[in-house]
Amino acid sequence: MSDLDRAIAQLRACRLIPEAQVRELCYKARELLIEEGNVVNVDAPVTICGDIHGQFHDLMELFRVGGDVPDTNYLFMGDFVDRGFYSLESFLLLLCLKVRYPDRITLIRGNHESRQITTVYGFYDECIRKYGSANVWRYCCEVFDYLALGALVLGASSELDPSGPVDTTQSTMPIDDELETEILNSKGEVTMSTYRPRPQSTGASTDSRAISPPRDISATPGQAPIRSGAAGTGASGDSGGSLSSRTGAVLCVHGGLSPVIDTVDKIRLIDRKQEVPHEGAMCDLLWSDPDEIDGWGLSPRGAGFLFGGDIVKRFNYRNDLSLVARAHQLVMEGYKEMFDGGIVTVWSAPNYCYRCGNVAAILELGEDTSNGGTVARSNGDYGRSNGLLGPNRPAVRSPGRRYRVFEAAAQDTRGMPAKKPVADYFL
Amino acid sequence: MALEVQPPSDRKRVKVYELRDNDWFDRGTGFCTGQILDDEPRIFVESEDEPNRVLLETKISKDDGYQKQQETLIVWTEPNGTDMALSFQEAEGCAVIWNFVNNVQQHLLSMAPGEDALSDDIESYQSIMLPPPELGNLPEIDHVMRAASITQAGRDALSKFVIREEYIPKLIPLVTMAEDLESLSDLHRLCNIMKSLILLNDNTIIETVVTDSIILGVVGALEYDPEFPTHKANHRQYLADKSRYKEVVPIKDALIRRKISYTWRLQYLKDVVLARILDDPTFSVLNSLIFFNQVEIVNHIQANAPFLKELFTVFDPRSADTKRKEDAVQFLHQCAVIAKNLQAPARANLFANFISHGLFAVIAFAIKHPKPALRTTGIDILVALLDHDPVMMRGYMLKAVNEKKTPLTDTLIDLLHTESDLGVKNQLADAVKVLLDPQIPLQDTMGRAGPEHFNKPRPNILSDAFVQNHFDESARRLFWPLKRLEHADHLRGLTFQEVALYSHLVDILTFFVRQHLYRSRNVIHNESLAPRIAQLLAVPHKHLKLTALRFFRALTSLQDTFYQALMTHNNIFGLILDIVYETMPRDNLLNSACLELFEAIRCDNMKPFVLHVVEKYGEKIKNITYVETFQSLILRYEQMQGYGGEPDSTLLSHEEETPSRRMQANGQRWQGVREMDAAEEEYFNTSDDEEWQQESRQSTSEAAQVQNGAASPVVKPLVDYPDDDEDEEDAMDTKPEPGDGQVQQTQEEPQQDGSSHDDAFSSDEKSPSTPVSLTVQTPPERLSEKRRREEEDDDELIKLTSGPKRRSSTSAGPGSAGFLRRKRSVSIGSLAANDKGALGNLNSSAAPKRIAINLSSATSSPTTTSSTRTKASDAGSTQPVTDHTSNEKENRDDNHSGGG
Repeated sequence: MSDLDRAIAQLRACRLIPEAQVRELCYKARELLIEEGNVVNVDAPVTICGDIHGQFHDLMELFRVGGDVPDTNYLFMGDFVDRGFYSLESFLLLLCLKVRYPDRITLIRGNHESRQITTVYGFYDECIRKYGSANVWRYCCEVFDYLALGALVLGASSELDPSGPVDTTQSTMPIDDELETEILNSKGEVTMSTYRPRPQSTGASTDSRAISPPRDISATPGQAPIRSGAAGTGASGDSGGSLSSRTGAVLCVHGGLSPVIDTVDKIRLIDRKQEVPHEGAMCDLLWSDPDEIDGWGLSPRGAGFLFGGDIVKRFNYRNDLSLVARAHQLVMEGYKEMFDGGIVTVWSAPNYCYRCGNVAAILELGEDTSNGGTVARSNGDYGRSNGLLGPNRPAVRSPGRRYRVFEAAAQDTRGMPAKKPVADYFL
Repeated sequence: MALEVQPPSDRKRVKVYELRDNDWFDRGTGFCTGQILDDEPRIFVESEDEPNRVLLETKISKDDGYQKQQETLIVWTEPNGTDMALSFQEAEGCAVIWNFVNNVQQHLLSMAPGEDALSDDIESYQSIMLPPPELGNLPEIDHVMRAASITQAGRDALSKFVIREEYIPKLIPLVTMAEDLESLSDLHRLCNIMKSLILLNDNTIIETVVTDSIILGVVGALEYDPEFPTHKANHRQYLADKSRYKEVVPIKDALIRRKISYTWRLQYLKDVVLARILDDPTFSVLNSLIFFNQVEIVNHIQANAPFLKELFTVFDPRSADTKRKEDAVQFLHQCAVIAKNLQAPARANLFANFISHGLFAVIAFAIKHPKPALRTTGIDILVALLDHDPVMMRGYMLKAVNEKKTPLTDTLIDLLHTESDLGVKNQLADAVKVLLDPQIPLQDTMGRAGPEHFNKPRPNILSDAFVQNHFDESARRLFWPLKRLEHADHLRGLTFQEVALYSHLVDILTFFVRQHLYRSRNVIHNESLAPRIAQLLAVPHKHLKLTALRFFRALTSLQDTFYQALMTHNNIFGLILDIVYETMPRDNLLNSACLELFEAIRCDNMKPFVLHVVEKYGEKIKNITYVETFQSLILRYEQMQGYGGEPDSTLLSHEEETPSRRMQANGQRWQGVREMDAAEEEYFNTSDDEEWQQESRQSTSEAAQVQNGAASPVVKPLVDYPDDDEDEEDAMDTKPEPGDGQVQQTQEEPQQDGSSHDDAFSSDEKSPSTPVSLTVQTPPERLSEKRRREEEDDDELIKLTSGPKRRSSTSAGPGSAGFLRRKRSVSIGSLAANDKGALGNLNSSAAPKRIAINLSSATSSPTTTSSTRTKASDAGSTQPVTDHTSNEKENRDDNHSGGG
């Protein structure tokens, strides 16, 4: 068992690792993260998670519901720390997993991954409390500066495979319809499903889907076929005949869009290694919120913007995205789709702050094996956008979305959540 | 027996709504009255059209959670579970009915404990009796307290009773009794009772709770939390452990000693025992109690000369008691930490006293200590001083130099070079940065000293030449390891320590250059640091490379000829382009950082660099095609050479007229840079005038658009505000103005406009199979404890600016504001997503708002003219069942307008 595995085991038990080991971990993570783009490409299948906020036991519950690393591919959209009482344990565990399984877990930055915010909302205090000095906080903040700003999920399937017995009322759905969304409770029972008609497409592509073997979306994706198409990349690689089944890419950011960023590629032009600024593109990506308005609005948060459905629609169209997944806002149901499914808020901290009474959710996107999969959206493929704005571009189809909703960890699995008291005092 | 509540006499025009299938169903418009029939208080609404039709008749009961929302809405839940809403035409009418409901409820509540306690005395609900503190009475005590906690009057009455009867000490023996009987249910009840008592949020009660005879009993009860039935905390064990209190030098004053232990208990209550359940008011009461105690303690210490003398003699070099010395450092550290929360004058006093007793010697002792933990502590104390008053600290440092003593900076620099603990090294770098900060914040000094000091030189202000000299000396010492790189033939085998050191040094230099253009010129020039840092661009350690890159990025944006020359004479761009080549087309942090630099040159049209880069590295950049940046750079260059198209004069003038507000707000890092001074301006304006620059910029984007097809999104510069965003800018300009347009828009829509939108959101509505809206309504016993603190509400950058003292400010107290706030939060119940100003979070809260607007449109009354922006934007949202997200937003707005 390597040191890292030992550290993982220790952190899973909610026990901290020594300061020297934290330092080493942070340096390793830094080496890894510096190689990541501002927007990380992630292949489906992947499970997308929202805010964690130091609710360690609920993070464990999340892994129980969604599958463990490395069996499940995870993408965490920031806000690992603050508010909850176990920010250190939560963040260090995620970081350990990142270092141990770099390809199986992606961490992007949230607005709480910042020096300024963490000194106000608890993480700094927690570090002082648990390690006696601010050193660990400094190491972690250094890592925050290296975290990616967003991720692009490629090759998600537009259709889900039903994950369980469908209840009778829904089995009357036309067989031709494909399963678009599915809501599961923490026991894995389907509580709701929605269907949509299959695209009117050439026989060939329908056939290919019909004969594609049933697959479990949480299965390991090792057997991906040769990837030739480019669903979601926007490249013109979609060979004729399968156009209708293109699933757009999914952009994941913590907050939302920015008026300065009209294409995903502009995010790549940010020098992200810095404290989250108070304004500008990087700030907006981490702070903005969607809202029922037209265009852009001032954010009451004092940073970032509010943006309306038209903005999302335009951005998705221009970038060949089918969905923007983001976190950043508490939603009582755990997830919330807005603007005709153009954007979704995923929230993964159940009973937020130990008192909000909300449920949490994670979003699973399946892998598209029917259409030859996808090529990772090449960074060098800059000119591809030229072809996108033609009027005849087939509409992208949103990915099949499976939400697993879960509640706070059962109380017998955790102690009473509390901050660590000071050891000694003079005053 | 009769209710002493006067029903309102006249009729108020109102709309009645009922929540059906998550949508507000309009039951009609009518006139509302409060009546008392057969001693039962009721709300009646008679139809406006058919006066004999009763739209609503409901009995006011004490348990229904009535809420008043905005000015014109009353929302509640009928006993059968139906959510109802009354939307009044006028705020005044709403207030009348609301008062009636309130009075009735308070009255009912006061009668609740025993049915026979009915009294005609209107005062009755202001006094509350608890049954005698006996185990057998616990269920009733719990019940009465819970009921009383719902209203502010009840809480006040309960507090008075508890204090007057000294009820808490009488409860304490029950804890051990119940433990002896192993009666878990009683213990759980005791725990609930203690929670309710503390959350009454009364200073006197909380002060009582932490006294010696009471505290163990109270936390003992709190060890048995019914929410964690299988757990038992061990608060008593922790608090009973006297050894946790360390005394370096005994504090003789008994009062202060007591304050110290009370403060410690308060902190434990706040952080551990009550951490999960604290609401905003109680949180701030705890904080302010702690704060005032600390003020007293610190005042006592700093005014106690014998104590301080004894404390600092601990560090006498002749003394061999190392443990005691270490403890004394910890003690001083704790004082410094507490001092951070004090007000500036008190803090200044404390530090001045410490310094005069020899604090610097203590810091010197600590930062050279063999234990890294103690070094950290020592630097923490130093940083506390630096944070408090950097000018003063630099004054001391320069004074030492002037007196030919070794200044603290030299010690720190030497330590930075040799320190092996990377955490300590980090702190040292920060401290050196502040101490040597070449930009002395003069304004700061004057602000503190007051206007009369404006023209008087500070006593220890030294000549600028002296300051410069010291800076050069220190900087030479500091950056010496960098200079030594000149002779390092290989940079591959750098040790971990070296890499860390170089990173810190380059980082510090970057900071200096940014802070003060001129001061760091000497050292950079004399020590020829730029080529050394350029060497670091080629090391294999990526983050060091990045640090070096950021140094040059900082130089780039300075617009200073000296630094420009550094960039162009050392093959810097060649080395940076090497990094681009190395990393491309991989999309990683280094690559993005390089691109960002070239993007900045292009966007901000830094002519000298455009010329230099394209002329010198044209071949190299010509081949980089995976991003537009470099081709655009070449294009820009060509335009400078006169190949550009005709500028469009109308657009040009437009660009000039565009308000620069948004530009600044979104400018990338450029905005951090100070304005050009005249000389630099001149430099940039030689040969070509400003117009020419703008022309070329204009034509660049034009040409680029032509090249790539009109609609290509890629070509637009990252922050090309003037043409890109003018629409958005308009949108934003109008937005904060009262949402007249939006309100109008809503008014134009039919009353039940929600229905037309249902389809779009139906999946959303039906989706959560778990009826969250129901689960959210937590049982009444949690109402009082789940009110949420305002800090917890949502992230706001604004809050940060208000500083950490917000927490320690005194609570709202029993004043009316506090009353309102509490009342609201009580009625909201546990819905923690809300806070002080927040209105119902009960899944439906936003919908009634819409109703308010609708009503006003129906009756064409101008009630909404006073809508704030919040209301307007909420009204603008046509989503039928507004979600909690927007509630949160509303809270934020509330906070925002309330100033936090």
